[in-house]
Amino acid sequence: MKIQVDRDVLAEAVSFAVRLLPAKSTLPILGGVLIETGQDGISISSFDYEVSTTTTLAATVEEPGKVVVIGRLLADIASRLPNAPVVITERDNRVSITCGSSEFTLLSMSIDEYPTIPTVTGKSGVVKAADFADAVSQVAMAASRDDVMPVITGILFEVSDKHINLVATDRFRVAIREIEWDSDSISEMTSLVPARTVSELSKTFANAGTITISFSDVSDREIIAFSADNKTVTSHLLKGTFPPVKKLFPDAVPHHAVVNTAELIEATRRVKLVVDREGFMKCTFSQNVLTLESVSGEQAQAHEEVDAIVSLDEAVLSLKTDFLLDGLAAVHSEFTRISFIAGETATKPGPILLTSQTSKESASSEAFRYLLQPKLLLR
Amino acid sequence: MTNTSATGILHVDMDAFFAHVELLAHPQFRGLPAVVSPRSTRGIVLSATYEARALGVRSAMSTAQALRLVPNLVVMPPHRELYTKYSAEMMRIFRDFTPIVEQISIDEAFLDVRGAQRLLGSPERIASEIRRRMFDETGLTCSVGVASTKFVAKLASDASKPNGLLVVEPDRVLEFLHPLPIRALWGVGPQTAKILERRGLHTVGDIANSPEKSLIAALGESVGRHLYELSWGRDSRSVVAERREKSIGREITFDRDIVSRDELCRTLLAQSERVGGQMRAAGVEARTIALKITFADRMSFSRSRTLDFPSASSRDMYQTATELLDVFLTEEHIELDRRPVRLIGVRGESLVPAGAGDTPLWGDLNDTWREIEKAQDAAATKYGRGAVRPASLLTRDGEKPIDESAHGAARPE
Repeated sequence: MKIQVDRDVLAEAVSFAVRLLPAKSTLPILGGVLIETGQDGISISSFDYEVSTTTTLAATVEEPGKVVVIGRLLADIASRLPNAPVVITERDNRVSITCGSSEFTLLSMSIDEYPTIPTVTGKSGVVKAADFADAVSQVAMAASRDDVMPVITGILFEVSDKHINLVATDRFRVAIREIEWDSDSISEMTSLVPARTVSELSKTFANAGTITISFSDVSDREIIAFSADNKTVTSHLLKGTFPPVKKLFPDAVPHHAVVNTAELIEATRRVKLVVDREGFMKCTFSQNVLTLESVSGEQAQAHEEVDAIVSLDEAVLSLKTDFLLDGLAAVHSEFTRISFIAGETATKPGPILLTSQTSKESASSEAFRYLLQPKLLLR
Repeated sequence: MTNTSATGILHVDMDAFFAHVELLAHPQFRGLPAVVSPRSTRGIVLSATYEARALGVRSAMSTAQALRLVPNLVVMPPHRELYTKYSAEMMRIFRDFTPIVEQISIDEAFLDVRGAQRLLGSPERIASEIRRRMFDETGLTCSVGVASTKFVAKLASDASKPNGLLVVEPDRVLEFLHPLPIRALWGVGPQTAKILERRGLHTVGDIANSPEKSLIAALGESVGRHLYELSWGRDSRSVVAERREKSIGREITFDRDIVSRDELCRTLLAQSERVGGQMRAAGVEARTIALKITFADRMSFSRSRTLDFPSASSRDMYQTATELLDVFLTEEHIELDRRPVRLIGVRGESLVPAGAGDTPLWGDLNDTWREIEKAQDAAATKYGRGAVRPASLLTRDGEKPIDESAHGAARPE
């Protein structure tokens, strides 16, 4: 194999290929990236049996062929090469990379051991890349990072012909965001995709125009594919039943408060400086004011007041500062509506629901919803 | 007030605690060199009588080594339930004298008796009375150090051992302290000692007479300052009643080195069952689960992971421990048949009171497991530990069930 490729194009493609690989793989071959010549250039791929990436790029192919080399090493080298065309040649199990006056020689990895990059040919639809990146950033932080319950380490895609609902939870909060999309072949389906992968790819694709999302129709190997510009990412789907979190959202909530989002974020960040390790603070909603207090900071206490429109006499809640901040950062609106949902039992307070609101008065938009479980306040 | 009122901090340390408890049951071994050690070829000495110590036997020495030193050594198997019982008895006696009791291990405690002097007399008198009652009510001896600070009190009890009492009056502290070797100071381990000895500092007095700045330069700000303060007898720590456990764990040294991952996992399961039960009984949850592994070549490793939420569930502990094990073996490219395992242990760390963490939005699988574990705990209370256990820990033919110490020696905490 012998190819010539632009240095920046190569560096970008290789860095993308290795970004989604796990830091350390059980099988060394999976740490490789596959460079393969095609009709109009080359493709660079990575695959660890869970996630695959493929980037096609323009290149001059002098001799067709394919090689596998250590991904992270190639990425490090490519990012530091001088600004000149890069020539990659394979001879006798060695891959040489020449660029200007630099030359590197790498051992090529066994092409026979490298797994076949999956392709997805099922039903698909199209979503605006910027909307998708936005939506993912609003829900991904609520996904669990605890492997004890793998099913909630994913983002649930609830797909219909005109909308996708993205849902994530770690059992303490639930984030849901609805986005529009366009598909003529899908009626109703759900897929559960690892949150880390979705989060990474949505950022990479944010500047593309649109993303095509395809769902495999082969039942034994369930995968999903995201394609934009010259890149495709496939991911295996998580197995198992996502908890029925939708039933936690009531149809109507009688009481709520409206606060300025930025003000509440600032105040919460200040209180957070002195809360204890568990990170809870006491929130008292009363006439026109929301009072925030640290509960058990031993060294210091904090007291903050934020203007609020409150539709009930008083509500006192214990909220985790980090979880509240995550929700507030995700409402993406000047004001936040905090709705109080009735608790089921006396020992467990009802959850609160955060939604966005464009002004103090105008009704909230339901595209983003963030449900958060307060803690029983021990007084 | 008497002239001893400036003291008032007591450090009480039982003499050869495990060994002496065993001798209560086996009076025929009195006066002989004897140790407490699990019946196993790989056991370590948990406790040694003074007769055995006189012949060079030390705790934590391997039993085999002790037997080489003293071939006619009496080896008594441990009975942890007994030690716990006597420990509780000990604490009960202390609390008759003062409510400010800080238990620092199963067999030692600090007492603050400053408030008890008007009723009970001088600290020295209280210390004598504690020693008398301890012997009358338990048949065990203890040593007591009396001073105005915790660390001098501890050094005083060490110096009075066995079966002794030493009062260090405030004006005699430096006289007592300065001839002691540097290792006597809290916070001086082998590493620190090496650094200090290289600078020609061998006694506490040497530290006291060197410039604080040079200590800080050698040992860092906090350790340097701390040792300098201690060397002048200054220790501002107070006796804190009810020490809260920082971690709960189990570890065992196997009889034979283990090459099977499954066997390690079964041991972790048994350990998780025990530790989870202990955490639930104590009303605490762990934020972090830690795995410890020592190979036959004595290389020891620890790995830990912080959970998303604190848990006292044996199942969470087991899952985390096995994942830590698998990740560790993979990352370090360790093949067990080439590197057999000598010791494995699991520990719940950063304990918080149960329920202090986040409240989930809905009940789920984990709640079901919690219910199962609650039922297991209830069965254990009624029918004894291990009454209900995971099927993989059962053996055929109704033999002795597999315990985490069934094929090895559980180490002292």
